[in-house]
Amino acid sequence: MSFLSVRDVVTAYGKIEALKGVSLEVAEGAITCLLGPNGAGKTTLMMTIAGILKPKRGAIQFAGAEIAGRAPHAIVARGVALVPENRLVFPAMTVLENMHAGAYQRGDKKTVAADIERMFARFPRLKERAAQQAGTLSGGEQQMLAVARALMSRPKLLLMDEPSLGLAPLVVEEIFRIVTELHRDGTTIFLVEQNAHMALKVAQHFYLMEQGKVTFSGDPGSLAEDEVIQRAYLGSAQR
Amino acid sequence: MLVDLVQNTLDGLSAGAAYALLALGFTLIFGVLRRANLSFGPAIMFGCYAATWTHVNFGAGLLLLAVITICGAVLAGAYVERLCFAPHRGGSAIAAMVASFALWMQFEELATLVMPRHLYAFPLLYEGDALALGPFTLRVDTLVLLGAALAACALMGWILYRTRFGLAVRALIEQPAAAALAGINVPWVFAGVFALASAIGGVAGYLVVASHGQITPMLGMWATLKGLLAMMLGGLGSLPGAVIGGLALGLIEAHSQWYLGPQMRDLIAYLLLFILLAARVPWMTTRSAS
Repeated sequence: MSFLSVRDVVTAYGKIEALKGVSLEVAEGAITCLLGPNGAGKTTLMMTIAGILKPKRGAIQFAGAEIAGRAPHAIVARGVALVPENRLVFPAMTVLENMHAGAYQRGDKKTVAADIERMFARFPRLKERAAQQAGTLSGGEQQMLAVARALMSRPKLLLMDEPSLGLAPLVVEEIFRIVTELHRDGTTIFLVEQNAHMALKVAQHFYLMEQGKVTFSGDPGSLAEDEVIQRAYLGSAQR
Repeated sequence: MLVDLVQNTLDGLSAGAAYALLALGFTLIFGVLRRANLSFGPAIMFGCYAATWTHVNFGAGLLLLAVITICGAVLAGAYVERLCFAPHRGGSAIAAMVASFALWMQFEELATLVMPRHLYAFPLLYEGDALALGPFTLRVDTLVLLGAALAACALMGWILYRTRFGLAVRALIEQPAAAALAGINVPWVFAGVFALASAIGGVAGYLVVASHGQITPMLGMWATLKGLLAMMLGGLGSLPGAVIGGLALGLIEAHSQWYLGPQMRDLIAYLLLFILLAARVPWMTTRSAS
């Protein structure tokens, strides 16, 4: 069943179209992955789904409701949260305040406090640093905080934009362990990654995107991994 | 010698407390919108003129005048936000600033049309004699100004660091995209920030006018200049910096007036700002870069 459905979406920066009619589907309960070289439009697609960018054309349906062009806070209210590229934690706010910001739309203090405890159990290092300013954390810790902040809104769909970017291999392993854990706990995940090898290990379905268009869609194994990796990093040879 | 020093410090602090409020209002708007609102002071003047008009025509008590001033400033602030800043959100910073300058002229014209005299009397906060404490004389209205301004600063601190709205404001200042992604209703917080900034500006305007006992149309320019100057001294976009900058500006003015003469009062503050900007002290450059 299609949970998130993107149809023919065009997003432009001025006259330059970064998305030239993108269509794809994300199934409920699955990890779907989006691969592609730099400049393919992956981040633009994520920002468009989350409402930061307004599409020029096309439809985006989530759980049966049209969300294309809605304000970001209204999309969060529907149950979609984005862990943005480069994490974008609030640097001068404490770890705990960052998590409270993620729970901004939730009124019930008790369940918020319980969720914070759950996040601390999942990310013990955040608990140790709860009173520390987020800007003082390491890259990996900031990524965990960005994930925890997004989860604090209790999303039905978690969008993750390059969570492994700039992190050491051991930390990348940890991030992907968290992704599989979240999936096991029932969160639907739509993941943008440069690290095709890791992404293909965890995803049930993947898309390849090149120059603003989806150029391949399939299950891991439906295309030889080295071919996927080549196209994910370099784009198609013939063009 | 020491007596002068202490006396000047006290006078400087009470003027500085009002500057701190103005700088806080400026910083809130600048930090959240990344736009300079030149009409910040004139909106305060509008509130003060609304109170003066009520006083001249109907006669009203100090408390009622304070309420009218603050409400008038908030109303004028909302007008500025709708006309200058809401249409240019994410657009041209220059367009918003020029538009806010146009509204500045509008407020001044309106004030001089409705109340054509250059100077109007405003009821004093306190009419009695100054308190004598040993060698020091303490004007009671100065003490009230200092106390009220510090209380308003404390209230602002509580709102910004202890409430849900304050969390949203700080998030928006630090990382606007991430704030929207966290589910914060950005246009609503913008409007709230304008209302809050105008309200504390109104408090500052009221305290200053009521302790001087008079009002002129220059109040708008005065408030914009002092607020901008104090904000820049404390570092753009920093909330604690705004309070420190305001108090520092008050102290600098009081001491340079006493030791160097009244004509040096404003000059020294501008000179200091020039030196700090030229020397690129860290607290002034890091904030504006982000």
